[in-house]
Amino acid sequence: MASVSELYDVGWEEMRDKLRKWREDNCRNSEQIVDVGEELISEHGSKLGDDIWIIYEQVMIAALDCSRDDLALTCLQELRKQFPDSHRVKRLSGMRLEALERYDEANKHYDAILQDDPTNTAARKRKISILKAQGKSAEAIRELNEYLEQFVGDQEAWHELSELYINEHDYGKAAFCLEELMMTNPHNHLYCEQYAEVKYTQGGLENLELSRKYFAQALRLNNRNMRALFGLYMLAGRGTKENKCSVKAVEEMLESMQITMS
Amino acid sequence: MALLLDSSIRMWVVLPIVFITFFVGIIRHYVTQLLHSDKKVDLEQVSDSQVLLRSRILRENGKYIPRQSFAMRKHYFNNAETGFFKKVKRKVIPKNPMTDTSMLTDMMKGNLTNVLPMILIGGWINWAFSGFVITKVPFPLTLRFKPMLQRGIELLSLDASWVSSASWYFLNVFGLRSMYSLILGQDNAADQSRIMQDQMTGAAMAMPPDPNKAFKSEWEALEIVEHKWALENVEEELMSRDLNFGTFFSQDIKSTMF
Repeated sequence: MASVSELYDVGWEEMRDKLRKWREDNCRNSEQIVDVGEELISEHGSKLGDDIWIIYEQVMIAALDCSRDDLALTCLQELRKQFPDSHRVKRLSGMRLEALERYDEANKHYDAILQDDPTNTAARKRKISILKAQGKSAEAIRELNEYLEQFVGDQEAWHELSELYINEHDYGKAAFCLEELMMTNPHNHLYCEQYAEVKYTQGGLENLELSRKYFAQALRLNNRNMRALFGLYMLAGRGTKENKCSVKAVEEMLESMQITMS
Repeated sequence: MALLLDSSIRMWVVLPIVFITFFVGIIRHYVTQLLHSDKKVDLEQVSDSQVLLRSRILRENGKYIPRQSFAMRKHYFNNAETGFFKKVKRKVIPKNPMTDTSMLTDMMKGNLTNVLPMILIGGWINWAFSGFVITKVPFPLTLRFKPMLQRGIELLSLDASWVSSASWYFLNVFGLRSMYSLILGQDNAADQSRIMQDQMTGAAMAMPPDPNKAFKSEWEALEIVEHKWALENVEEELMSRDLNFGTFFSQDIKSTMF
């Protein structure tokens, strides 16, 4: 199998920079990270200096995603050797246990971290995701609610809660979570669009009106958002009064479909 | 008035003072890092600060959510009986600097690492390099500065712009600040002027020890906020312009790694 550097003709610095970019953008392209990271660690480990630790962490999480337990274990062992008492490393070993479906042991790990440091948010969130992985969504929702009562500002958690509620078809509460997200990120078109979709699903005249407004807002923030355009089109179609909005939306939709097909 | 200074002054006084200041600053930075003790964070404090943040966000960005949701949240915070800011009273233990051990040690450490070296080295330079002028500051100064800047030189007719070594030392302390941020990165402990600034503003903002007051002020601020929905006319605004699809779909998106 040809190595990444041969396939794409890149040096180790570019691979390292690419990993950093993925880290900063929070991408979840685990297979690519494993390919690039594994080669970087094995061939160019000594040249990386202190960067290697964070790359170990990044590659380990990606390896867990791809079921590469061997690679995950090596990374974890290196990190454990270097940072023996670190909560961050403990969390990673907990994650590995989760990946192996040894949930009870993982829970013990996280409880140990929380006893030491009650404000550690990462351990709490992992416990909630264990519940989610085990399919206990009602408990996961309850735990997440308690978590959010204390850490009201955690946006990742609000988003996760909205997803859990949508899965349970509790659209009212999901809308509440998305409103929190919209308040903290008023210029993020994705949250507006998700909120509009939830309102659309809820149904009822008031919610549909709200939904139309938020689809329009999402489009105003980013006119490439196809889902928002489609949502607007769907709503415009069922409007009881003929207004400029519906006609124009239909026109725009047809225009965009023409462009994508050409 | 033009004075010609011995060039050995430049070599043996000006440059050594610069180096001394610089290295003492770096040493101070590392010593502070070594002596630095981790601050233990209280869960309640974290929680409170986040709640206050949420309330502030509600005030600022409340106009992006529907009127009813805004009213619901405002009610949650401000309701006369069950509102969060009305109901929650935190027990406040006033932190007496004399008896609170952690704050006392912090203060001592701060003094030790910053003020003490400055006094010592300032005094040593004053003693070692006294009796002659070092340099001339490029702007004219009044006679009032003479006793301050020309320690050890009793010449009545000398221009106030000619300064002695002690003032050159102080000039360095403040001037090398940007050098430190270049070399040690932002937020470094060698930055004395920032520390002095902190000491002055620290008296003004004593918020963490008193969440009750913060809650009260946040309650007042939230009471007066009105909800002006930003999405009132969004559809008309959207329709008034073209969506401009133009060049969006003309190229393939590259999906390879590099």
